Amino acid sequence: MNVPSTTLAMMLADSRLPIGAHVSSNALEAALLGGLSPGRIGEYLATRMDTVARVEAGAAVLARHLAQRDQPLAALHAEWAARTPSRAQRRIAAVLGDGLRRLADRLWPGSLSTDAGSPRPLVLGAIAAIAGLGPRDLARLVAYDDAQTVVAAALKLEPGDPRQGTALVLEACARFEPHIDALAALQDPTLLPSAGAPQIEGWSEDQSVLPRRLFRA
Amino acid sequence: MPEPTTIVPAVTTESADGRRSADAPASAVDPTSVSTVSRPGAARRALRLGVAGPVGTGKSSLIATVCRALAREIRLGVITNDIFTDEDARFLRSAGVLDPERIRAVETGACPHTAIRDDVTANLAAVEQLEVDFDPLDVVLVESGGDNLTATFSPALVDAQLFVLDVAGGGDVARKGGPGIGRADLLVVNKIDLAPHVGVDVEQMVADGLEAREGRPVLALSRHREETVAQLRSWVLNMLAAHQAGLHEPQDPGPMAPHFHAGEVEPHTHDEAHDHDHAHQG
Ligand SMILES: Nc1nc2c(ncn2[C@@H]2O[C@H](COP(=O)(O)OP(=O)(O)OP(=O)(O)O)[C@@H](O)[C@H]2O)c(=O)[nH]1
Ligand SMILES: [Mg+2]
Ligand SMILES: [Zn+2]
Ligand SMILES: [Zn+2]
Repeated sequence: MNVPSTTLAMMLADSRLPIGAHVSSNALEAALLGGLSPGRIGEYLATRMDTVARVEAGAAVLARHLAQRDQPLAALHAEWAARTPSRAQRRIAAVLGDGLRRLADRLWPGSLSTDAGSPRPLVLGAIAAIAGLGPRDLARLVAYDDAQTVVAAALKLEPGDPRQGTALVLEACARFEPHIDALAALQDPTLLPSAGAPQIEGWSEDQSVLPRRLFRA
Repeated sequence: MPEPTTIVPAVTTESADGRRSADAPASAVDPTSVSTVSRPGAARRALRLGVAGPVGTGKSSLIATVCRALAREIRLGVITNDIFTDEDARFLRSAGVLDPERIRAVETGACPHTAIRDDVTANLAAVEQLEVDFDPLDVVLVESGGDNLTATFSPALVDAQLFVLDVAGGGDVARKGGPGIGRADLLVVNKIDLAPHVGVDVEQMVADGLEAREGRPVLALSRHREETVAQLRSWVLNMLAAHQAGLHEPQDPGPMAPHFHAGEVEPHTHDEAHDHDHAHQG
């Protein structure tokens, strides 16, 4: 199967991708219950772009780099986990990574270099390595997916003008753009950005124990 | 390929008179023979049996009833789907009808119907893991999160499915039809013990169901009526036997009306993307 990087990015960014990702709101549900006003979802996205999205995108780029060279991903997995202190965030990343791995097993049988239990950014990076998705498209894909997940959940939790949500996704992607060069150039797992966001981590933890939640994460 | 209804005896209220024909002899499903079945087309893995239906019609209770009736004879596992957390799994574990470790929850998020139909990833992963952890299993029961009348399982997830209505939801529901009512492998009209209290004519409701289903089986059930539980038990064992013999072909009940394509003999229905937001009951 030989398709250009752009097509792969579009496919992987499509919310209809069968990997079970509709259960995540990227902690938006807990954030709204915790006092974030719906009018500030744009700011929530901006903070995510500057913090957790950089960690995820950087981990994906590094996984791609290592997988292309047949190098092990264990050290990267540890670096990513150290920068993802919320257990709930690590858990959902593993669940979604598993869904992605199941899809990849069907699309590129036997080619994936990640172990079971690998978090989504590592599986995405490994897919990028075998399928030919470039580091820039890969980083952008991670950011886009992060923002789109929040906005799609917002439409279920606090429905408003859906066109406004789409505008927020584009704004978030534009916000992320200045990070692309540095992320795409990453080669050393120890240099993965350490951009923590304690409030987002707290909301992720809250989300994992929310009673009667609409979203698992 | 054979129509499943021709090999699975229709279980109807008529058999409530105690006809033994609906009761499979226990030897029909000898647990020790399960993994050694090797006829061409015969299934090696467990029968995956979906239980769908609107909120509160008694899906979890029905699964508990099946476990109670069969857990000593065949090897069972259960996957529950809940919109909110894992209440159904906890209910079933506390019912004490099956080893609690064989009951696992999948959290479906805001749309329970996506998880059983358009994107079955999380459920398939859970079913496969259960099958690995308790290999070999004979039947894995998958309870859908209570959705609306249009929610049915994808044949990519289950081999056969029950659609559960209850008399308390009103006597008209069976007549209204829909993919689950019309074409699930078995339609259950549940809680018939309540019929006198809610003013529903069970016979009429079953007759409506049979008509909507063009002869596919309908079972009037109450967990308080042993003879109806025996019919449910037989239906499950017959379906398991058909699955193991490679005689049962998973069917998609809908959402489309049955139709033909050029060159096909049997009518079929199609999956369609679930790309809308809709209100779920409950
Ligand atoms: N009278 C009577 N009540 C029943 C019967 N089966 C279930 N119920 C009751 O119906 C209610 C709902 O049963 P559940 O088994 O939880 O229904 P469910 O379809 O799993 O519900 P959700 O998973 O929430 O959609 C409970 O109060 C049960 O005790 C029955 O045969 N007779
Ligand atoms: Mg239930
Ligand atoms: Zn739905
Ligand atoms: Zn067709």
